Amino acid sequence: MKVQYQPKSPFLLSTFLIIFIIHANQVGIGIHGFQRVIFLEAKQDAWISVLIAGFATHIVVFVMIKTLQLYGSTDIYGIQHEVYGKWLGKVFSSLYILYCLWVFLIILKNYIEVLQTWVFPTVPVWLFSFSILLLVIYGVTGGIRMIVGVGFFSIILSLWMFGFIGYPLRFADYDHLLPVMESNFVSILKGAHKMSLTTVGFEILYVIYPYMEKKDKVQKYAQIGIAATTMLYLILMLVALIYFSPGQLESTIWPTLSLFKIVRLPFIERTEYVAVTFWLLIILPNLMLYMWAAVRGIRRTFGLKTIRVLLVFTTCIFVMSLFINTRLKINRFNDIFASVAFYFIFCYPFVLYAFALLKQKIKAYKEKKK
Amino acid sequence: MFFKKKLLSPIKDSQPKNQDPIPETREKMSSEFKARLQNSADILENEIGSSGITIFSIGTLIDKTMFHQDIIDPIKDLSFNSIQTVMEHLSVGEIEKSNQMEMVVKSALDGNVIIYLEGETSVLLAKIPSRVGRSLTFAENESHVIGPQIAFNESLMTNISLIRNYIKDSDLCVEDFVIGSRTNKSGAILYMSGIASEQMVNTLRQRIDEIKIDGILDSSVLMQLIEDKSLSIFPLMSLTERPDKVCDLLLKGKLAVLFDGSSLAIICPHTFMEFFYAMEDSNVNWQIGTFYRLLRLIALFFSVFLTATYVACITFHYEVIPQTLLLTLSESRARVPFPPIIEALLLEFFLELLREAGARLPTKVGQTMGIVGGIVIGTAAVDAGFTSNILIIIIALAALGSFVTPSYSMGNVIRVLRFPLIILAGFWGLYGIMYGFCFLLLHLLRQSSLGSPYLSPFYPPRFADWKDSIIRLPLSFTYKRPDLTRTGNENKYDPKKAKEKNDLK
Repeated sequence: MKVQYQPKSPFLLSTFLIIFIIHANQVGIGIHGFQRVIFLEAKQDAWISVLIAGFATHIVVFVMIKTLQLYGSTDIYGIQHEVYGKWLGKVFSSLYILYCLWVFLIILKNYIEVLQTWVFPTVPVWLFSFSILLLVIYGVTGGIRMIVGVGFFSIILSLWMFGFIGYPLRFADYDHLLPVMESNFVSILKGAHKMSLTTVGFEILYVIYPYMEKKDKVQKYAQIGIAATTMLYLILMLVALIYFSPGQLESTIWPTLSLFKIVRLPFIERTEYVAVTFWLLIILPNLMLYMWAAVRGIRRTFGLKTIRVLLVFTTCIFVMSLFINTRLKINRFNDIFASVAFYFIFCYPFVLYAFALLKQKIKAYKEKKK
Repeated sequence: MFFKKKLLSPIKDSQPKNQDPIPETREKMSSEFKARLQNSADILENEIGSSGITIFSIGTLIDKTMFHQDIIDPIKDLSFNSIQTVMEHLSVGEIEKSNQMEMVVKSALDGNVIIYLEGETSVLLAKIPSRVGRSLTFAENESHVIGPQIAFNESLMTNISLIRNYIKDSDLCVEDFVIGSRTNKSGAILYMSGIASEQMVNTLRQRIDEIKIDGILDSSVLMQLIEDKSLSIFPLMSLTERPDKVCDLLLKGKLAVLFDGSSLAIICPHTFMEFFYAMEDSNVNWQIGTFYRLLRLIALFFSVFLTATYVACITFHYEVIPQTLLLTLSESRARVPFPPIIEALLLEFFLELLREAGARLPTKVGQTMGIVGGIVIGTAAVDAGFTSNILIIIIALAALGSFVTPSYSMGNVIRVLRFPLIILAGFWGLYGIMYGFCFLLLHLLRQSSLGSPYLSPFYPPRFADWKDSIIRLPLSFTYKRPDLTRTGNENKYDPKKAKEKNDLK
């Protein structure tokens, strides 16, 4: 396996598209209900937790891109191969692939749960997961340019939802935010820690990096993408805090969706029905990007045919989606994931960067000796 | 491409080149010529008096007046000893010499007369084809109020000359090709050298060369053979009958294919959005042009999604409908015995029947169709409790929406797309519609037209081209050629000078 990977020029993507990739991949299913989870920890200072989590994300992304830049045009599979050697590298790459599939399953399951709760209580799980997986297969076989296209359109086409934010603001009670900094710093940090399930998504950088046209501009655009997501989360957090009373927020599982409830247009009511179904377009790029990253990893590490791997993965996901079927199981599944994701996404990049630096230093030292 | 090749495996194997010489005596030549053309009744054989010359031709393919004036008259009283001297007496522009029988027969089929002198090893081929066809008429299928009214006809020469009359530039390239092992029809690729991308011209040329088929009768069939993927429902190249549109797109760096016997030009590469532009958008003020384009885009969404949304909301999500509207809806649906999906499919089917019948019937009877349809749909169906009033309004809106699309082939696609969406909506409600929408988005993103992305300029995003997409900004803003065509020559004109006005003071 080669460490470097340079895609042919027709497959390269304009660098500014990384804004859309990161934003589209971060915003997904977590945005439905992150307010409550953080509120439980940090109370009315939850918005500070969001800011802290956003700030941490900026740093992690900075380190990630630094790591990638050490090797020029490569992805995480190449770096791990180089840093850990042939066998250990394969183990770590497999872990990364498993992680991608896990996120995939989490997104799929949570979305189906929302669909069943809000719109179709009687439609069975397998029908939803089967239909969505078909779309994912069709999309992933189209290649990375197409997947990014879906991400681009999912952002552009869902901008209208943002216009509805004015409705809850009419019933806003700004006193809910006061007093500021009442919770102690530890619980605010705990809240930020809980954000990890919502903020993950930027790690797609590790895989998509070689496809960017101008590698030196990636840092700038990636940070813009992260900032956009943090802004969005901050606004949604603040709106939820001032619209819901503390007691209400504690018992509302999906505050963002509940915000849609009061939107009333002359020709449409109960916009959350539209929003929940429209969310398919928002999670579709997430699903496709993660599936693509996993399939890509298998191709890079083990050199297997893409289409077969894709079919095997989707079949596995389909079977697994049938077993995680109650609210409790999903919750447990989410919690385990959140804690693993925290270490894998927020801590591991620093370790990898340190190892990569060390490895390069040793290499340079050896060459000097020669 | 794999699919295409399999489909179009050569039907008539190209025979080894026949090197048969011209027979030396008149009788042999005559029988050989007739035998090769299967003794057709329209073969002419004229012996010209004392000159020793015999002229062979297919009588139905040549211009009789020219035949008498320019070929028989000058030579009938003379006598010749070599074929070269005959040539000097003829007043026809296109004369060739040939000594192969195969070539002789081929050119006879192309409107040539064969001038044969006994004892010579070569013959003269003089081209005097008869012009069968109609004169130029109004553009009836893509009519515009403002703008030139002329349309192509079926003659390749006339069509090329129409374009040459619009673009009087030495850079306009006309490359010809012949297609069909039996029909042997000629066509031409047109492009502006220096503006169009070399690579695209090569791709198009190669695709046309690779076609092995016995006959193509219209450019619409040719288009299906040279499209990027033949399995998509969407047209990936455009057909037009308007020479001004062809010229406008040629100047933007696109390629056009004209085909003899077809009044439609193929334009490629073409994007999805461009099917919703009309030439009239640029002929009117930019505000009006923008309004038209927005109107068409809204019509597109109505046309594809409105009926499906009705079905979804009535079947599953009546909470979404505001109370006042719900009252009217349930009142009008109270007597309808079918579930919404059946009701909608029935009416859509009925409307499609009307449209198809109107298109196939002669014009005089076609008007009756409108009246019958109007009465049956408008009152009888509702009175009978067959459908609800509101659905009729929605279906009519959707139908109108599909008819405002300037391109007929895209309008067809829009009409067909409604049916799967209605079915999806009937099964899965709003989720079904969204599912269909996502599938369409993925599908459109996968398509390409002559190798360029189909959803350009939206994806890959080319913000400069957005100025002439959903909206149309004034001409002084749109000084660049579209990025899609990968043109070598970007600017249409100097953007700085465009805004100056040098009036007399």
